Amino acid sequence: MSGYQLALQQLTDSALPTGAFAHSLGFETYVDASVIADEASFGVWLSAFVSQQLTYSDGLAIRFLYEGVDIGELDALLSASLLPRQVREASVKMGLRLLEIGGEVFPSAELGLYRDVVTTGRAAGHQPLAFAVVARSLGVPLHEALAAYLFATATSLTQNAVRAIPLGQNAGQRLLRQAAADVAAAVERIPHLTPDDFGALSPGLEISQMRHERQRARMFMS
Amino acid sequence: MTSSSSVVISPWAASADEGGRARFAVPTTPRPPSSATAYRPVRGRLELGIKVHNGKSFAARQFHEGALRVLRPHYLDDSGQVCYVVVNPGGAYLGADLFDLDIEVQDDADLLLTTQSATKVYRTPEAFAEQRMVVRLGERARLELVPDQLIAYREASYRQRTHVTLRPSSSLVMAEVVTPGWSPDGAAFQYEELRLRNEIHVETNAGRQLLALDNLLIRPPSGDVTGVGFMEGFSHLGSLIVVDPRVDQALADELHRATSQRDALAGVSLSRSIDGTTGLVLRALSNSTGELDLLLGACTALLRERWHGQEPLNLRKH
Repeated sequence: MSGYQLALQQLTDSALPTGAFAHSLGFETYVDASVIADEASFGVWLSAFVSQQLTYSDGLAIRFLYEGVDIGELDALLSASLLPRQVREASVKMGLRLLEIGGEVFPSAELGLYRDVVTTGRAAGHQPLAFAVVARSLGVPLHEALAAYLFATATSLTQNAVRAIPLGQNAGQRLLRQAAADVAAAVERIPHLTPDDFGALSPGLEISQMRHERQRARMFMS
Repeated sequence: MTSSSSVVISPWAASADEGGRARFAVPTTPRPPSSATAYRPVRGRLELGIKVHNGKSFAARQFHEGALRVLRPHYLDDSGQVCYVVVNPGGAYLGADLFDLDIEVQDDADLLLTTQSATKVYRTPEAFAEQRMVVRLGERARLELVPDQLIAYREASYRQRTHVTLRPSSSLVMAEVVTPGWSPDGAAFQYEELRLRNEIHVETNAGRQLLALDNLLIRPPSGDVTGVGFMEGFSHLGSLIVVDPRVDQALADELHRATSQRDALAGVSLSRSIDGTTGLVLRALSNSTGELDLLLGACTALLRERWHGQEPLNLRKH
């Protein structure tokens, strides 16, 4: 077993208290409009979310960090490209929690540096970057880090869907098995993307994330 | 990939800086393409430098060559805002064509920039067609950028990059409509790839910071772009970006209410803020250019009336 395996499991466990249970990242808008109403329709949304937003924003940010791009620059790029306010705030909210937990559980010089630029207001502290800094400091190879991050995000979103739609627990597990194929495809694609692809948006996902701000009854913060 | 992040992440920083230098002389001979564009022919180039004198804006600098020019400036009202209409006499963007626009609006000047007709991109078998626009806005300078819709036909590839640098006191409104294009058999989304990238930087005394990166990539052959998460079953996409120190949540809510009058699925949100200025992004999906024009027109009309006491935009195209 590689030395980082258990640490990576802890880092991506849905019990890690980053507050992911409070975010739908836009799918609640589809639930409200009855576009998402069952296992199949949530699966369609999750597939689009993994292959679009998680690939072009979070996934590509993780890759660039591994390749040595300045973390302050990546942090600013995420703040500028996550245009729906709630999604930008979600990324920072969960990122700050991860920085805090990481500082206690997986301390490293690199993490200390990122925490430092965040606490002095020079960076916002985004979730994929906090994750990437910790994963890299643990010696997790890029493709494993990408797979773990994307699948962990898909897992928390699916758990939230199970509660919100609601779906049965077994349906949630079937969805996750299906999401594994999208995550694997994304991990294959991310190394081939270019800097021009960073932050490529999907209009429908983005509009639903924006409309969530004005939704009356909601379970989630995003 | 290297650790030189500015090169890796901002490949257009070089051309932006070049475009940012003030150039007032009108060259008598065509200038050689810059290194950034040397690998492909520049089919059209346009430069405008707008200044204001006694409350009236005008082009103190104007240069064009190749397949881009502007019509004689006009004034739609007595606000002093000058209106320029960009014309592509060739009528379309073709493969490997590069179009370069450099727009500078100096302190307190006010420019309305539009196009004479839709931007049409035809089949581009050799390489993608590209438009690069570099915009610089001075203190309290204003730009309203309202081009006609973009139509990409079968097997077309097109990239449009707009790089804006503005001051915290500047005012920017950009509207855009993208159609699904079509092919001879009537099918939509038959083009290869569309990339529309807007980068907006705020320049302060502390340096330049990225306010908003709006990156649209539509690549129909690579998967379903029509369904859930992407076009949501609609055919047309409209976008509005507003950057102004007066942008706030109340305005976002008001513009969102304005969109509900139209047959479209729309969302509005605020970008991050830098030095007192904020971006507002409106995105809308619909099934017609007309519906999106009305929606975006209602929003720009509200801003024109509230901030400038102007009438709604009425561009009579010929």
